[in-house]
Amino acid sequence: MEYAVYAEGLRKSYGGVEALRGVDLHVPRGTVYGLLGPNGAGKTTTMGILVTLIKPSGGRAFVAGYDVVEEPQRVREHIGVVFQEPTVDRDLTAWQNLYIHGRIHDLSRNEIEHRARHVMELVGLEKFLHRRLRSYSGGMIRRFEIARALLTEPEVLFMDEPTVGLDPQARTRVWEVIEELKKTGVTVFLTTHYMEEAERLCDTVAIIDRGVVVAEAPPEELKARLGGDTLYLKTASPAEARRLLKLAAGYGDARLAEDGVTVVLVARDAPRLLPTLLQEARATGVSVIESRYVRPSLNDVFLMLTGRSLRDEEGGWSDWMRLHMRARR
Amino acid sequence: MPARPRWLPAFQAMAWRQLVRFLSARSRVANSLVFPLIWLLFFGLGWSAAFNVLGPAARGIFGGLSYLEFLAPGIVVMTVFTAGFGSGLGIIWDREFGYMKELLVSPAPRGALLLGRLVGDTVAALAQGAVMALLVSAVAGWPGVWGLLGGLAAAAAAALASASLGSLIALSMRSPEGFHMVVNLVMMPMLFISGAFYPVDPLPAWLRMLAYLNPLYYAVDLARGLMYGVHSTPLPLDVAGLAAVTAVAVAAAVARFSRTYIA
Ligand SMILES: Nc1ncnc2c1ncn2[C@@H]1O[C@H](COP(=O)(O)OP(=O)(O)O)[C@@H](O)[C@H]1O
Ligand SMILES: [Mg+2]
Repeated sequence: MEYAVYAEGLRKSYGGVEALRGVDLHVPRGTVYGLLGPNGAGKTTTMGILVTLIKPSGGRAFVAGYDVVEEPQRVREHIGVVFQEPTVDRDLTAWQNLYIHGRIHDLSRNEIEHRARHVMELVGLEKFLHRRLRSYSGGMIRRFEIARALLTEPEVLFMDEPTVGLDPQARTRVWEVIEELKKTGVTVFLTTHYMEEAERLCDTVAIIDRGVVVAEAPPEELKARLGGDTLYLKTASPAEARRLLKLAAGYGDARLAEDGVTVVLVARDAPRLLPTLLQEARATGVSVIESRYVRPSLNDVFLMLTGRSLRDEEGGWSDWMRLHMRARR
Repeated sequence: MPARPRWLPAFQAMAWRQLVRFLSARSRVANSLVFPLIWLLFFGLGWSAAFNVLGPAARGIFGGLSYLEFLAPGIVVMTVFTAGFGSGLGIIWDREFGYMKELLVSPAPRGALLLGRLVGDTVAALAQGAVMALLVSAVAGWPGVWGLLGGLAAAAAAALASASLGSLIALSMRSPEGFHMVVNLVMMPMLFISGAFYPVDPLPAWLRMLAYLNPLYYAVDLARGLMYGVHSTPLPLDVAGLAAVTAVAVAAAVARFSRTYIA
C-alpha cells in the first residue's frame, strides 16, 4: 500500500451521537498531513481510531499498511503518538519515562540510551533529561512527548493538536521541531484547529467538519479553489474607477466597491499582477492612489465549504476551558 | 513473530516503574502501616485484655494461641492485602492523568504490562508487610525466621490477589469515587470473614462457605500455621486454595485489561 495512512468511510457513534459520519483520508508516505477542523469536528475521534484506541463503528483504516482493527498490534509497532492531553508519568524523570517507553517498545537499554540523547536534543531538552516531569512547563511536556514518540523511530507520528494551550513562544518551538522532522522522512499526521498551523506545516490538509472530511488537498490548492487573491485598487474619481474596471476585467473577476472609486479584483498571483496593473493604469491615464491585496487563508476555504468561520473557535471559550481544565490537574 | 521476546522487557519495565513510584512516595508507605497498627494495638491489646479475664480457657477459642498470637499473622496479611488494592488505585490515577493511553498504545502484550504492574505492586506491598511482620513479632512473639518468611509468602499471594481484584475493579469503573465505593464494599467483608480477627470454624455454614471463596482466608490460615503452628484447614489445602483463587483473580484482571479500549 502506498499510503502511510488510508481511511475509508470511518464512522463512530457514541450512543446516539454520530461523532464521525464517513471519514476518508489519504496520507502519502513521508509527508506532513493536517486534519483541520473546529472543536468537536471529530479530529480526536479519528486519531483515536487510527492509533487503535477507539473501535470504529464502521469503515476501514490502514496505518503503515496494517488494518487498525484486524492488526492493532502491528499498527502500534509502527507509530508514535502525542495525544491531545499529556500522557506522561510526572512523578518520574524524563529519562525514566523514556526508559519505560523504550522497554515496552522492545528497545534494548543501549538503544534507549543512545536515542534518548538524540531525541531530547532534537526538541531542545537535553539539559533536563534527569529532571522530574513535575518540574516541566506545559510546552516542555509537549516537546518531551514528541521526543518520546520519536524514540522508537516510528514510521508515522500522530499528534493531536500539538500546540493547543501553549504560549506563542512554545508554539513556535513545536513548529520548528515538526519542520525539522520533515527532513527525516517520517510521516506526520497532526490535527489542529489553528489554520496558521496547518498552512505553515502541512503538505496536505484535510478539512473536517461535523464528522465529515469536506476537502483534502495541499493548502495552496485549497486556496486556489477560491479563485485567487483579492486586489483593491482605489482611484481618485468614479470615472477613473470605471475605466480601471474595464481594464481589470481582463485579468479576472472584477467589480466596483460600494464607495464607487475602488476596484475589487479577484485574480491569481496578486504579487506579480499588481505592478503590471499599475503600469497599465498609468498608461491609460488612471491614477491609482491606494492599492493592496489579500491572499486567501484556509479560514476563507473553511468558510466557503461550511458557511462558518474557523476563527470563531480560536481563543474562544472552549480553549479557555480546556486550558483551565488542564491546569487544574 | 517478535511477540514472545517482547513480553519480558515490558513486564520488567512495569514492575520497575511501580517500585520506583513506591520508593518515591514514602508518606503513602507510612500511611498504609498506620491502619493495621491501630488494629494491632487497640483491637489486639484490647481484646487480649478482655480474654485474659477468662484465664487459660481463652486459649481454647484460638487453638491454643494467645489472642495476640492469633491476630498477628492476620494483621500482616491484612497490611499486605490492603496495600495490594492500591494497585487498582494506580490504574485509576494512570487513567486520570493520561498515562494509561501511553501504555495502551504500545505494542507490548497487555498481559505483560498488567502482570508487571501487579508484581511490582505486590513486592512493594510485601516490603510494607515485612515491616509489619517485624512489629507484630515484637508484640506477639517471635515466630522464627522460617515462620516469618512463610507468613510473608502467604501474604504475598494475598497481595497479588488483591492487586488483581483492585485492578479488575479499577478497569471496570468510570470514576475514582466508584472505585473507592466498590473497593470498600468488597474489601471490608473480605477482611472480616478471613479468620484474621476470629476463628472461622464456629461460624454458620453459609458464612464459612464465603470464607472458602476468600483468598484472604487461605492466606491468613496459612500464615498462622507457618508462624505459630495453628491452622484450621490442612496447609496443603490452604496453599492450593490460595493459589487457585489468586490465579482466577489474576486471569480475570488480565483478560479485562486485554479487552480495554478507551472508547
Ligand atoms: N467518549 C465520548 N462520548 C460521547 N461523545 C463523545 C465522546 N468523545 C467525543 N464525543 C463527541 O464526538 C464529537 C467529536 O469529538 P472529538 O473527536 O473530540 O472532536 P475534536 O477532537 O475535533 O474536537 C463531539 O461532538 C464530542 O462531543
Ligand atoms: Mg480533539
